[in-house]
Amino acid sequence: MIDLKNIHVTFGKGTPLQKEALKGVSLTIEQGSFVTVIGSNGAGKSTLLGVLAGDVLPNEGKVTIGTTDVTRKPTAARAGLVARVFQDPLTGSCGALSIEENLALAARRGERRGLKAALGPNRRSHFRERVAELNLGLENRMKDRMDLLSGGQRQAVSLVMATLAGSDVLLLDEHTAALDPGMAEFIMRLTQRVVSERKLTTLMVTHSMRQALDFGHRTIMLHGGEIVLDVSGESRKDLQVEDLIAMFRRMRNETLDDDALLIG
Amino acid sequence: MLSQIAFWGAVELGLVFAFVAIGVFLTFRVLDFPDLTVDGSFPLGAAVAAVLITGGFNPWLAAAIAMVAGALAGLVTAFLNVRFRILNLLASILTMIALFSVNLRVMGKPNVALINADTMLSPFFGLGMREVYVRPLFVGVLVVIAVVLVWRFLESDAGLAMRATGANARMARAQGVDTRRQVYLGLALSNALVALGGALFAQTNGFADVTSGVGTIVVGLAAVIIGETLFGARGILLALIGCIVGSILYRIAIQLALSTDALGLKASDLNLVTAVLVAVALILPQLRRGGARS
Amino acid sequence: MRNFILALAAATALVMPAKAADVTVAVTAIVEHPALDAVRDGVKEALVEAGYKEGEGLKFLYESAQGNPGTAAQIARQFIGEDPTVIVPISTPSAQAVVSATRDISVVFTAVSDPVGAQLVKDMDKPGGNVTGISDMSPVADHVALIKEITPDAKSIGFVYNTAEANSVSTLAALKEEATKAGLQVIESVATKSAEVQGATRALVGRADVIYIPTDNTIVSAFEAAVGVAEEAKLPLYAGDTDSVQRGALAALGFNYFDVGKQTGEVVVRVLKGEAPGDIPVKVAAGTDLVINKKAAEKMGVTFSEAVLSRASRVVE
Repeated sequence: MIDLKNIHVTFGKGTPLQKEALKGVSLTIEQGSFVTVIGSNGAGKSTLLGVLAGDVLPNEGKVTIGTTDVTRKPTAARAGLVARVFQDPLTGSCGALSIEENLALAARRGERRGLKAALGPNRRSHFRERVAELNLGLENRMKDRMDLLSGGQRQAVSLVMATLAGSDVLLLDEHTAALDPGMAEFIMRLTQRVVSERKLTTLMVTHSMRQALDFGHRTIMLHGGEIVLDVSGESRKDLQVEDLIAMFRRMRNETLDDDALLIG
Repeated sequence: MLSQIAFWGAVELGLVFAFVAIGVFLTFRVLDFPDLTVDGSFPLGAAVAAVLITGGFNPWLAAAIAMVAGALAGLVTAFLNVRFRILNLLASILTMIALFSVNLRVMGKPNVALINADTMLSPFFGLGMREVYVRPLFVGVLVVIAVVLVWRFLESDAGLAMRATGANARMARAQGVDTRRQVYLGLALSNALVALGGALFAQTNGFADVTSGVGTIVVGLAAVIIGETLFGARGILLALIGCIVGSILYRIAIQLALSTDALGLKASDLNLVTAVLVAVALILPQLRRGGARS
Repeated sequence: MRNFILALAAATALVMPAKAADVTVAVTAIVEHPALDAVRDGVKEALVEAGYKEGEGLKFLYESAQGNPGTAAQIARQFIGEDPTVIVPISTPSAQAVVSATRDISVVFTAVSDPVGAQLVKDMDKPGGNVTGISDMSPVADHVALIKEITPDAKSIGFVYNTAEANSVSTLAALKEEATKAGLQVIESVATKSAEVQGATRALVGRADVIYIPTDNTIVSAFEAAVGVAEEAKLPLYAGDTDSVQRGALAALGFNYFDVGKQTGEVVVRVLKGEAPGDIPVKVAAGTDLVINKKAAEKMGVTFSEAVLSRASRVVE
């Protein structure tokens, strides 16, 4: 479960560049629910994700993940509760380490790291099995450095990494935006499977209205640091991409310059 | 050509400086933290060991305390960098300069002699083997132990966290790694090894001198780079072995320059040769990256 | 006839030393600078005077460690490996590197202030083993006397040095002792590298009545910087080594390092002739001579007395 209460985030407080990125956002996501988040640039999507991941500490409000109050916990201290896949495949995994070393690193997410060998025979075969499920043939390249993989392959491995340790909250930060359409589709199918198999509480930020409506149980739209739309259930089923765009237009009281991007 | 004594002398010194190379590998390569503290922690290790040994301490204990002193020096650099966000290079230069005064304080004078003192090596002299071989053998055994321990560490869960910190700090944090702690840990470990090298230098050469830190970082880097050139980037163990081999080859190169005029090189040219070597090695990866980008 | 041949043989023996055919003298210094280079040249000169000429039975090796003790250690091994007749290390770290690495090859160290403290020998008079040499402990008492003689109004001596140099630190201790006896105060100023010499000297302006610069490798390497400040502030500047008088010091009662080298060379010759180093006492270099600089005196507002002028072994005009 994720619970945000009255979250305020202001960047550059007291400077001429002061910007209020989130203005009292409250949001509760039930256990096992999959929420998609849309919004234009600067709407506060990344800040919202940052508040959950720990990269951004709110000026006001309370953040609860599961049953833990994580409001003041930095990223590393709450990593055991939250798994995350980044937009940039280079950020989410470590290019200088091998595939299996990346997995070993993720497998201890949020746990104490001791002096035991990171890659014993048991772990190795477990990782191999998990990577084999991707059907990308990567199980035969476990000792290859991560930076030898394509962006899509890296995102696929990142998804495996996100599910190795026992957390049940998954944050997806436009994780298909940097991929070609074919690979993006593959990663989304994989995401869907992983989320439903493991019953993960998921928050996915996306640029694509299509994705936002096709996946998950609930869609919220952010604008100017506030939640301006929150649909789920029956009303969401009937919602079309065109409706979202119309809503966008009303919200901003101006035309969107790049409809194609939003529909895609 | 090199005499036996000169050759084994170079090997011995190479092995002593292999500790520096491993330390430099940990900071520069593993943590991606250019740390110049070593120019101060090497003579610090020598100073602490020499003062304690002349004060009647067991030489092994003296070396262990020297390592602790080195670790503390590393922690100071890490503290300046992590706590006050001073640029890593600058933070390490500050510590290095401060250590110069500290080392003088520790010794109370610029030079402490150990020629007549009982050192870690003393029990091994007079066992029948010539001193020329005893010294490199003794230091070599210690280096091998250090390499095995560092290798096992870097391939453990904890070591993986340190490697991730250097390679991709954002990802490391997302995986629950406290990257600031890793900087403390890595710099302490690195400078402890460098200080041990200093302690061994003092004991194998009979003196600790405040000037013995000059250029330690460059020698360490040169060794790391020679090793990488020979072995390539093929895993931690080979990189560590590369540090040892690189350090020995560097010393043999100096020894050759001292022994012949054939190359037209004098010992005094080696500073230049080393600097060029290190500069090229630092520039090459950037050129490659730049090429890939365009 | 038989007597004549014997006499000829004896004469030859005097001119041509017995082992002249296969003698190697290996000299090493921690760093290259005029004083240490002069020591080396003095050693060579003494050898030549004793009939050992390079290429004619003498092999003379020289290496400088470029200020790096690691390199000094390698030079020590290099020399020991070449098994020379005598090794002559100049300066404390070079001597320690050599002495700790050999117990067999004869060592004649030089330009070391405190050979016992550096553990090169256990006893100055009976060194024992394979080591002897020449100490260049500064004649500080004579320096203080000279300062009182040339600048009698001085109440304080400014001392510019590098805390990292063993020689300077021991000189400072001795100077403090002698100055107190003479009713003078010592004011320290530290430069840890040659770039800091000017600033360190300037820091003494207004605080000290005269400046004294010891045989400190760092300070001496940037001596002109100190001279510039002294002339500007009209501060009498004394040096610990006579070579620095040429470079602008007012006066120095010091070693002529070429002479120190020659004295070292004479010890080397005794060893070459078969004496055991352990039987040759370690001596403090003799022959301190007074060198004065008239031009510097003018700039620093000092006039030399007749007594000083007549005692000077060399006067720089």
